[in-house]
Amino acid sequence: MKRFISPKGIIGLALIILVILAAVLAPLVLPADFATRMSMSARLRPPSAAHWLGTDQLGRDLLYRVMLGGQTSLKIAGAAVVMSVILGLPIGLIAGYYRGHVDNLLMRLVDTLLSFPVLLLALTISAMLGPSLPNTIIAIGVAFSPFIARIIRGEALRVAQMPYVEAARAAGTNDLQMVLRHILPNIMPPIIVQATLSLAFAILAEAGLSFLGLGTQPPQSSWGLMIQASRDYLDVAPWTALVPGAAVAVTVLGLNMSGDILRDVFDPRAN
Amino acid sequence: MTYILNRLLSIALTLFLISVITFSVTTILPGDVATMIMGTQSNPVALAGLRKSLGLEDPLIVQYGRWIGGMLVGDWGHSLIFKSAISELLVQKIKASSLIVVMSMAIALACAIPLGVWAAVHRGRWQDAVSTNVALVGVSLPDFFWGIMMILLFARTLGWFPSSGFADPSVNLWLAVTHAFLPALALGLGLMALLTRMTRSTMTGILGQEFIRVGRAKGLSERTIVWRYALANAIGPVLTVAGLQVGYLFGSIIVVETLFNYTGMGWLTYQALLNRDIPLIQATVFVIAAVVMLTNLVVDVLYLYFDPRIRLE
Repeated sequence: MKRFISPKGIIGLALIILVILAAVLAPLVLPADFATRMSMSARLRPPSAAHWLGTDQLGRDLLYRVMLGGQTSLKIAGAAVVMSVILGLPIGLIAGYYRGHVDNLLMRLVDTLLSFPVLLLALTISAMLGPSLPNTIIAIGVAFSPFIARIIRGEALRVAQMPYVEAARAAGTNDLQMVLRHILPNIMPPIIVQATLSLAFAILAEAGLSFLGLGTQPPQSSWGLMIQASRDYLDVAPWTALVPGAAVAVTVLGLNMSGDILRDVFDPRAN
Repeated sequence: MTYILNRLLSIALTLFLISVITFSVTTILPGDVATMIMGTQSNPVALAGLRKSLGLEDPLIVQYGRWIGGMLVGDWGHSLIFKSAISELLVQKIKASSLIVVMSMAIALACAIPLGVWAAVHRGRWQDAVSTNVALVGVSLPDFFWGIMMILLFARTLGWFPSSGFADPSVNLWLAVTHAFLPALALGLGLMALLTRMTRSTMTGILGQEFIRVGRAKGLSERTIVWRYALANAIGPVLTVAGLQVGYLFGSIIVVETLFNYTGMGWLTYQALLNRDIPLIQATVFVIAAVVMLTNLVVDVLYLYFDPRIRLE
């Protein structure tokens, strides 16, 4: 029997749990104005007992800022991935189930959308809608949906040719029932794996958008924004860039590593 | 012959779809050129007048026709922020960016192939672990973070390379390369990580094949087997994946060029987006998508050329 859970996956999962805990606990353990409390006398301080990860250019505590930023990043990335699945699922299912002309038409559209680099599409949508938190979610969600649609289509295509689908059809199941009850449940595992991996990309995309000023807007805290703000103080306070950078790295690394575990659990065929 | 014809038809159709998507995203969403020129606080009557004179009151299909018709005859319109012809801007900036794209691709391949081969040859040992984990960290950090770290290390601390700016390669090639080096390195790292993984898995598969065993049985040196026979078979898939990443590169240059203040396509796109210069947004988005689509096509065709096994009937 195959080894079920790899040590890499465990580390990944542990990292993710750590990040989520930090993001959720931040507002519970610290006073409400902690993140915005500025202190001109404590600007750009290196890590110390009072500020474990140092302070930023406005004297705000970096540990707390980075925890709050995690909340924003996870929220946006999670919602964006859910949105991309909602948009991609019907397209992929219809194309994969009906095949033929419908499939050709939809996939032509999807492939064309895939010619647009994800970040470019997300930036354009965000710029046109006007940057804000909900618009960042929409921008990333829409930009990711063609990938999801492509994967779902492939899976639907495979499952739709299974003997049990044939059997269900012979038993008189209609199309809607077929898709919802026989096909969708059987393609959920690869979708879950893909969604987890997309979450990692969504975190990177959010950081990129916010870094360019077309994502999360101040005074909200976001890792991309923190890195952007650190640029002017690199020489004197490199930790202001390293702290949010490390936060992105830990989260994305954790997601990529736990992708392995999910694949083992949900999608044994992949091995 | 019919294959080539089909292909050309398909390119035309895809370019058409790209133009429709670009136009829709930039037109249907709120905000238009008139408000961009006059600002949101402007006199509504004047605004309506300007909208009319710019043709923004026409049906969308007419506006689209005017846009695409202009592009077909080489009139790409004027940029609102740069006050110059978009076509000139594009030619200039594409030249600047191609230097970065080519350099980052070269850096990525030059590091990824040896690393991936090294990992595959020592599969399951520490060398494999090092290479795989380096690759994992590489894909887990955003390009702009690498960029900032490089500015800190190579520009500020060591002073080896300039931290920002662009130099024209036709004026001074060396200066141009030094300016492009750090952005290219920042872009190349993420790509390198991905290509290392790809090289490793392809090489692992090939090293387990029959013809490798035959080579060993004939007494060929391990070096010849790995670097000549195995790598020759692995290079196709690796280059294909590399080619398909051009899209990813064109997304990333927006961030990286902005960070390094390197005035190429990515920087131009960002300026357009930031200032909502709609004609320029339309042009840059269309051109980038078209370049990505055409590159993927070239990769496809090259693959057929290099690997006769999968050539179509």
